[in-house]
Amino acid sequence: MNRVLVVDDEPQIRRALRTSLEAHGYEVQAVGTGEEAVIGAAETAPELMLLDLGLPDLDGTEVIRRVRGFTDLPIIVLSVREAQHDKVAALDAGADDYVTKPFAMEELLARARAAMRRAQPGEPPAPSMRYGSLEVDLGRRLVTLDGDALRLTPTEYLLLEAFVTNPGKLLTHQWLLRKVWGQGYGTETTYLRTYVRALRKKLADDAQAPQLIVTEPGVGYRWIAEGSGGEA
Amino acid sequence: MVVNEGSESEGIARLTLRGVVIGLVTPGIATVVTFPVAPASPEISIAFFMLAVVIAAVAGGLWGGLIAGILASTIRPLVVESPQLTFRFDTVEDVATGVVFLSVALVVGLLVGQASEDRARALRREREARFLGTLSSTLHTREIPDRVLDEFAEVLMEPFALSKVEIEATLDGTNVRAVAKSDGNVVGGPRVSVKLLAGETSIGTLVAERPAGSRPFSRDDQLLLEAATRQATAALDRARLDARARNAQLDAETNQLRAAMFSSVTHDLRTPLASIKAGVTSLLDVNVRHDPTQERELLTTILEETDRLNRLVGNLLDLARIRAGALTPNRQPAAMDEIVEIVLARMRPRLAGHTVTTEFPTTLPDVSVDPVQLDQVLTNLLENAGRHAPVGTEIHVSVRWMHDAVQVRIADEGPGIPLEERDRVFDAFYRGSSTPDTPGSGLGLAIAQAVVVAHGGRIWIDDAAQRGCVVAFEIPREEPQP
Repeated sequence: MNRVLVVDDEPQIRRALRTSLEAHGYEVQAVGTGEEAVIGAAETAPELMLLDLGLPDLDGTEVIRRVRGFTDLPIIVLSVREAQHDKVAALDAGADDYVTKPFAMEELLARARAAMRRAQPGEPPAPSMRYGSLEVDLGRRLVTLDGDALRLTPTEYLLLEAFVTNPGKLLTHQWLLRKVWGQGYGTETTYLRTYVRALRKKLADDAQAPQLIVTEPGVGYRWIAEGSGGEA
Repeated sequence: MVVNEGSESEGIARLTLRGVVIGLVTPGIATVVTFPVAPASPEISIAFFMLAVVIAAVAGGLWGGLIAGILASTIRPLVVESPQLTFRFDTVEDVATGVVFLSVALVVGLLVGQASEDRARALRREREARFLGTLSSTLHTREIPDRVLDEFAEVLMEPFALSKVEIEATLDGTNVRAVAKSDGNVVGGPRVSVKLLAGETSIGTLVAERPAGSRPFSRDDQLLLEAATRQATAALDRARLDARARNAQLDAETNQLRAAMFSSVTHDLRTPLASIKAGVTSLLDVNVRHDPTQERELLTTILEETDRLNRLVGNLLDLARIRAGALTPNRQPAAMDEIVEIVLARMRPRLAGHTVTTEFPTTLPDVSVDPVQLDQVLTNLLENAGRHAPVGTEIHVSVRWMHDAVQVRIADEGPGIPLEERDRVFDAFYRGSSTPDTPGSGLGLAIAQAVVVAHGGRIWIDDAAQRGCVVAFEIPREEPQP
């Protein structure tokens, strides 16, 4: 059974989350402070942490930093819409995703499942993945659309690789810039936008009805396509 | 038109060249006419000389008459008695006719002079009255006190042949000043000053000046100027009271509007809460058994109302932040067409009933904006379009680059916004008069405006090509300099 650590200072939210999560078969431990959260993450080794950013004792970002000191457990941040900065800071500090309050339970559960699936060691990603008519072969560094090979620049390819190897995960601007351009980068969002735009165009992804890359304004991007193993 | 042509100096006893000439000529004519017959019939000559004196007095005034009278008295004996042209003035008759001639000249001259002065005065009065009448109607059409004074100063210039008018007054504690000046006049001419009286108290002064070297202000000028100033003060007072009444009405309207928005917000907050509470208490009631359809219906209602409440609270919070001045854009370079695409992608389900078309330029420079705030602006505008335009119609979103700014236009085929409401729709809590039943908090446009303004841009309702509504906004490329 999956253990979930719920961290929120509001008893009503804790109760609601506990009830809903238990009804879906999760084992729930609910705490109200940042200190308890760090201790809980260390002692009970949960498989997921749902973390509210507005805690009475510790800043939510600080909790993430401390927890990341000893575990890679998936952390989903629960935050209100107004706290855009906090959201980005939490993601950059190592949170896996965020859900905006008030949220629908099914959305939270979907994100939780995705985060836990990504965290599972499982089998290494298939060298070749298929997303509808798009096929990405990481082993041979080959990308084809409708069977035709796409000419991607090295940067576009690195960007695509970052996306497909982190499916469903919200990738912040900073994370993507460091991953693709290198450690010295982090604020050059214009580069990132230009390349994402070019990549979208080559992959024939309609920005108004995206099937592959979704933009999270002011935060980053998310690869949403469900892949299936292609021919190896 | 000059009202007052210095007619005061044209008195009864004024000696004019014309009077002198007439006074000299008429007895001469009488002499010539009566010369042949005079010795035979002196009565005829007396009659002619009398006629000459009367004519001279009528045409030449008092002095003309008197000159003619003296001449006639002296000439008459010369022509009447033989031998003619020999000077004598010795008989009682000579003296008597002389006295009669002079008396007639005096009486007729005075009467005629009086009559002509009366006529001149009447004419002047008429002109003054006409001037004051025009002045009054001109000034009373002005609604703003300052404009009344400006207009007044201007209106005085020509009739009084002035070079400069300066008015200073204190109205409701504020100083008002109006100056009218004609160009090219030498200063330092005759001046006159008149007080502006409101009842007994002086509220200001008017100083009028004529070009250097022109005639001084007469008593009539002074009187007329005072009368005109009284008119102006009355018009000023009326304009001031009107302005005060208008302000009071505006205040009342604002208060009414505030009360309306307060009740609207209260209503908007309570309604979803009422539905949620009703649904939940119904579901919790142990005495009632709901079938699955009913249960689902109640829960759906609760969910929808929660979303509605969340949107409203979000809007209210945004508004509160705007009011608190906490709306600082977190700027980063962004492409407006991309932001539009993101919003359209997210709003696809909500705009499913409409045909959404877009128009983007092939290349679009980046602008420095807060993408999250701009997302909010576009969301609000598109929500409005989706809410007001009938299902099945087109919503057209276009992005353009003009004058170093990015312009976004959202056109719908809804009922549109009447011209007179186009500024007010951006007021918080304002709901269009044509769609009072459409759900919405009346905050969307107010928030959109606040964000656009915080970015140094502007937002407005534009004319629709056909029907419907066009909301346009513009964000300049450069950040506004603080």
